[in-house]
Amino acid sequence: MTYDFAKRWMRMVTLLVGMTFVAFPLYWMFMTALTPRSELFKPPYQLLRTSYSLQNIEELFSATQFLTFMTNSLIVAFGAVVINVIAATLAGYALSRFNFRFKNLFVASTLWTYMFPPILLVIPLYIIFSAIGFRNTYTGLILAHVSISLPLNIWIMWQYFQIVPVSLEEAAWTSGASRLRALWEVCLPSALPGIISTAIFAFALSWNDFSFAFILQTDTSMYTLPVGLATFVEQSAIHWGLIMASSLLVSIPTFGLVIFLQRYLMQGFGLGR
Amino acid sequence: MAIGPALILLVATAYLPIAFALTLGFFHRTAFDPRMTWAGLANFSWLLHQPDLWAALWRSMVFTIGSVVFQIAFGLFFGLLLNKAILGRGLMRSLVILPYMLPTIVIGLVFNWILNPEFGVVNQILLQLSIVSRPAPFFGGLHTAMPSMILVTGWQYGSFAALLILARLQSINPRLYEAARTCGAGTWRCFWDVTLPNLRSTLLLIAFLRGIWMFNKFDLIWIITQGGPLKATETLPIYVYRIAFEDFNFGRASAACLLMFAILLAVSVVYFRYFSPTKEIEVGR
Repeated sequence: MTYDFAKRWMRMVTLLVGMTFVAFPLYWMFMTALTPRSELFKPPYQLLRTSYSLQNIEELFSATQFLTFMTNSLIVAFGAVVINVIAATLAGYALSRFNFRFKNLFVASTLWTYMFPPILLVIPLYIIFSAIGFRNTYTGLILAHVSISLPLNIWIMWQYFQIVPVSLEEAAWTSGASRLRALWEVCLPSALPGIISTAIFAFALSWNDFSFAFILQTDTSMYTLPVGLATFVEQSAIHWGLIMASSLLVSIPTFGLVIFLQRYLMQGFGLGR
Repeated sequence: MAIGPALILLVATAYLPIAFALTLGFFHRTAFDPRMTWAGLANFSWLLHQPDLWAALWRSMVFTIGSVVFQIAFGLFFGLLLNKAILGRGLMRSLVILPYMLPTIVIGLVFNWILNPEFGVVNQILLQLSIVSRPAPFFGGLHTAMPSMILVTGWQYGSFAALLILARLQSINPRLYEAARTCGAGTWRCFWDVTLPNLRSTLLLIAFLRGIWMFNKFDLIWIITQGGPLKATETLPIYVYRIAFEDFNFGRASAACLLMFAILLAVSVVYFRYFSPTKEIEVGR
């Protein structure tokens, strides 16, 4: 009994040490974001602080282009989500309900694209977009993001529609619904978790992307948040309080997502126990 | 046809560009001259004579293998500990997933800050505990930059491994452990003879997927060191970026991409041929 007790404590302590390793960088980001500039260049720092200030966050909105970057990021992410959801849902439905030539090749190729180095994709996109004037536009970056998120999303929606029984649709057809109506009223509600995952994945990929935006958007006014934030470090006087405040704000969707995933999607992973 | 929009999008934004890139390696093409002229194997022979290419290839190997090993170690650590019922497990599980979901830019900036030689809090703690006598340079040092980078990738992507390992652990039949116990196996024996064989295919899958992704990793390295100091962290993707967007020689850059792709293709053939991943999942049940 005491042996078991000791073992459980050992496990708990090991876990807490590990968790400190995971949490500390995030904790420090949070702390730095709330520390006024004057105190940031005076180490040693106290690991626990009692006084906070919102000075950095205010400065972020008043003295930098943070709002421009955020607007760009939101527009691009929104575009990528809409295109992904429509295209992936239709393609997933078609793949699960119809048989056509090259179907297997199509499905396999969607996963292959994951093996290509992203840098391999960005070079031709850069050349093509330069030629047709898509660089430094929302359309161009949205299309670039779709090219990396759509393949997996088609795969996800294909899997989801396989679970939705055809008999449900057939019942709708016999009561006189058209194919489109049956898809809309019967199939889509059952495939909703898939559509949500698709939207989340598309949003996360677009919001987090650095490489494509960095190479394709060269005009400061078209920078997305990740590219814009990277320029904060290149400025002559690096203001870490400002940088950590912006990092914190950029992470907010992620925090929301993790809370959502914990409650909702984990059950699908069999981790809910 | 319902598949139309997706097909058109994929052809226009992925298939055609990839096909374009694959042929581009055999042409002379720069940003200053829009004409494409046939080069044959000239780009490849130029590349193979560059000492920088081989150095970058070597660094890519070190980076890929180092970070995959570290990620799996991280994943096993948290996977095994979080598998048992424990106080606050839900919260800790969320915390472990968090780094994987964070934008790379955030991770790059945060680690740049906490590992800063002058003002970094990690150096402050190390100095206070007398672990080091003077501030460690981390990303600024020729010999410390690569290990520091590997450490960061372990922190960011270890959670991917932890998630898959945890999911697999939960699906191991508890009867297997009961059977092992009645045969007199201790904790260590149980891990070695029951847990590890069941995890084998999961670990191989993690090594394969993460290996590909780390080999292709561009953003994190660029954000933190831009390949420096003195090319100490210049892996293949960084090298390709420099050829394409600093020398603006797209033909040579595409040829280098083709070499990277050939390496990945060889690795995946070996993986699917010799480790037959799908078969083993069946055996494990």
